[in-house]
Amino acid sequence: VTVRRRTLLRASLAAPVAAATVPLLTAGCAAERVTQVAVVWSDTELALFEAVIAAYQRERRRRVEVISVGNNIDGFLRSRHRAGTSPDVAILSSPGNVLSYLDPAGEALIEPMRPDIRRRYARDWNELLTGRDGELYGAWVKAAHKSLLWYRRDRLGRPPGTWAELLDLVRERATPAGPAPLAVGAADGWVLTDWLENLIAAHTSPDQYKQFATDLAAGGSWNQPAVVASLTMLAELWGVPYALPGGGSRALLTQFDESVIQVAADPPRALMAVEGDFAASVIRDFGPVAAVPFPAATDRRPLLVGGDAAVVLAGADPAAHDLVDWLTRPDSFGPWMRPGEFGYPGTRGGYLSPLAEVGPAEYGDDFSRQRAAELASTTDLRFDLTDRLSGFAGGGDGVGSWKVLQDFFAEVTTPGADGPAAVARAVAALDRRGDR
Amino acid sequence: VTRPLLGESVVIDDVGPARRGRVYPAAGAAGLLLLPAVVLLGALIAWPVVRIVYASVTDPAGGFVGLDNFRAALDAPGTAAVVGRTLLWALVVPVVVTGLGLLLATTSRRTPRGRLIRFIVIAPIALPLVVTGVAYRIMYDPDPGRGTVSALLAWMVGAESTPLLLGPRLITYSLMSAFVWAWVGLAFIVLRTALATVPHDLADAVRAYGGTPADVFRDARWRPLLRRTVAVVFVLVALGTVRTFDLILVMAPGSVLDESSVLAVRVFQTSGATTTGPGAALGVLWLVAVALGVAGAALGSRQVWPPPSGPDQPGPVAGQGWRAVLRRSVPVAVAVVWLGPLVVLVATSLHRPRDTATRPWWAATPSLDSYSEVFRRDLLGSLVFTAALATVVTLVVLVIALCAAYPFASMSGPGAQVAGALALAGAVVPIQVIAGPVNEVLGQARVAGTAVGVALVHIALGLPFAVMVLRNAFADVPVERLRRARLAGRGELVVVWHLARATVPAVVAVAALEFVQVWNDLVVGLLFSGPDKPLGLFLYGQSRQFVASSGVLAAGSVVVSVLPVLVLVLARRQVIAGLISGTLR
Repeated sequence: VTVRRRTLLRASLAAPVAAATVPLLTAGCAAERVTQVAVVWSDTELALFEAVIAAYQRERRRRVEVISVGNNIDGFLRSRHRAGTSPDVAILSSPGNVLSYLDPAGEALIEPMRPDIRRRYARDWNELLTGRDGELYGAWVKAAHKSLLWYRRDRLGRPPGTWAELLDLVRERATPAGPAPLAVGAADGWVLTDWLENLIAAHTSPDQYKQFATDLAAGGSWNQPAVVASLTMLAELWGVPYALPGGGSRALLTQFDESVIQVAADPPRALMAVEGDFAASVIRDFGPVAAVPFPAATDRRPLLVGGDAAVVLAGADPAAHDLVDWLTRPDSFGPWMRPGEFGYPGTRGGYLSPLAEVGPAEYGDDFSRQRAAELASTTDLRFDLTDRLSGFAGGGDGVGSWKVLQDFFAEVTTPGADGPAAVARAVAALDRRGDR
Repeated sequence: VTRPLLGESVVIDDVGPARRGRVYPAAGAAGLLLLPAVVLLGALIAWPVVRIVYASVTDPAGGFVGLDNFRAALDAPGTAAVVGRTLLWALVVPVVVTGLGLLLATTSRRTPRGRLIRFIVIAPIALPLVVTGVAYRIMYDPDPGRGTVSALLAWMVGAESTPLLLGPRLITYSLMSAFVWAWVGLAFIVLRTALATVPHDLADAVRAYGGTPADVFRDARWRPLLRRTVAVVFVLVALGTVRTFDLILVMAPGSVLDESSVLAVRVFQTSGATTTGPGAALGVLWLVAVALGVAGAALGSRQVWPPPSGPDQPGPVAGQGWRAVLRRSVPVAVAVVWLGPLVVLVATSLHRPRDTATRPWWAATPSLDSYSEVFRRDLLGSLVFTAALATVVTLVVLVIALCAAYPFASMSGPGAQVAGALALAGAVVPIQVIAGPVNEVLGQARVAGTAVGVALVHIALGLPFAVMVLRNAFADVPVERLRRARLAGRGELVVVWHLARATVPAVVAVAALEFVQVWNDLVVGLLFSGPDKPLGLFLYGQSRQFVASSGVLAAGSVVVSVLPVLVLVLARRQVIAGLISGTLR
């Protein structure tokens, strides 16, 4: 009797713990029976991707679980890999990351794609995701257009088409009374790297650009004529007095979203901003803002793109390849291309398809059609440079190339700044590569 | 086969006066009761610390490299500034917090108005630091058209010369002001409780001998009690400055991250949730500093705290003249200032997101759109997950800590002191330092990046403090009651159960603090969580586009803050007693 009572008591102590732990444990186990997809998207983008997945589940009669991991998807995948609980598919926004999963020292985190995936993309796109063994390790599912100048339609007669026009316009409109001609979200380092990359692309041929990216990834120097020329142009433009609302130090506290709002709000604080197509999601609530291609700095008109690629994790369920196959079919991303038709009225997708076959007519709004047409017709496609790199060159808040460009920005926007000296310092700083 | 699983043999020493330590469980049972706590703390705190120390003197392949990692970490640009800033935090902030807390404690009075003032000053303790960060970033927004404080400054000194409160020069002080706002309540409440236990006749005696108010303060308050309490509060706040991490992540724009960085942020940037040599070296330096701080705390608090019992004594008697005016006006002034961030937060949450992005809260039409928007972004999912997580963690911590605290309470001699010091050390190891090895352990257990892994980390982090509080509670149980429980009980668990009921206030305190701790967490979620987003991480995610989301963030912050404030208000008496018992002994 004694024993039984004691056991009972022990059980009664353990019961609440067990009862409370069980849901957490089963949540972990039950998930393994379906195909898991890890993504960085959240909010509207996540909802639209889930609409895409819902169609897959209906059509192929499989269960898929979308897990939104946030920006630290790299850490998530690595720790899940160590734990042996990797998801089946992950969608990453940096090809540099994808290739880092093939680290020759350790075991690969990802599997090669099935052979027929390759045929669905232009060669340039595939190259970015091809390992040293020649296998394709990822499939692009989304593209981002990063060569755009947003401007106030009601305040600017004609948007600048070339860099010289942009510079003239900024000088002309820069007055203490405002609105300032330019908004720069310098608090986010990637805004500045996007500016720089657009100019580097204009100063290099596609082959030179590719070679430069390869060299940088292998530890090469930033001290190239194209980089120096680009930084010099930026120093000249950003250094125009009264070019920015509140000046340079204020711009360094302006994040991407605020810089867009400075242009879009009524009354505007600024007239133009250089941001990718994703700025549309911030602008949609605000005023009359339109976008044109990034001003031509040279004879070339390169189109800078970023993108998200699906990878299949090592040891994934075979269904994972089936899902990737489905995601890379032209009609799968319908809900994201035409949100209005799929129950998301008023949402502008901000989605561009990287697939060769998807034409501009497939999109639900003029803005997307226009960007898709530019993407389809360009003969000079360049992929975001820092996304192809990792570590110092890849940047991060307060880290690496982002921080170097922010210091450069602070220097050249100070009245009386010495442009050439600042350029030299920035190049040296980029080459110094701290451990961080 | 009869193996006493939870040994029944009890030694009762009936000789001599009843003292604690005279009734203790058999060694085998004690070991078993301690086992869960030892395993968890060993795997998730002790081993990671050892691993970090090892990693700091080796290369990734395991070869000994001497002090190379330390050199690399210290040579990295800006490290000296980061270390200096961390020390600045650990010295300046405690001085301000303790000083303000003491001022408030000596001037606050037991009137209905006094109670309202107390609530306003104490409420910020309950808020997640992420919410504090959101409120202060909204107030300090450099655009006078949005930031309340910037607007005030612009009105006073002109828009042209308004300082950028979030700019590289002022960001550290702005962060400190937010931290002081959040922590003064703690210093206030502890010091106030201490003052209430000073016998009043002592002050009367000093006065009778012709002592001035300064003499009264020095001889009747400072010397007998306050000096030590102040020292302990100081160290407590200094150790608490580790948490500035949450504030920095939310308040500092990317471009000034370097100008605001402290060791917590630097280690996080260097290593994230992995183990790297330079990150480990920084971590080891930091651990040494923390250990020194703890040693100071242990030395400064060697005193038996008079148990806060009996009816509270009447507050200080108001005199006349300017002193009385000061006494009456200081708390009111502080309360008004302290109310500011709460008002701004609530006011901002009551406007449409696009209005909060473009105009000040006092000039736009109120609306509940931000609330519906934040729920559309799945705040509910985070609320449910965090509530489940916090409940599970709290229950598990309570059970394990109760089991461990009971044998711990009856230990004596050097063993007890070592165990006590270890528990204290476990309570203050910064999680950023050991994140890499902890992730490795979780990976071995196949729970890395899952809700179970996050729960385990929370449990391990919460245990040391819970054990300390409960140990003291057990030690305070009258020996007669202990004896009765032991004679009636048949096994150690039954005894623990009986005694748990005798220590209800401490259990309530631990439960409330643990629940709020998990609810308010950002860093554990950031380092270890998987697909499910705890609330801290949810808010942090929204803050990546701060201006566009400020209305949504404010609404989310208000929703998130309701429960912790409620919990701490309901359990305030037990929490205060528990805090004092757990931290000061």
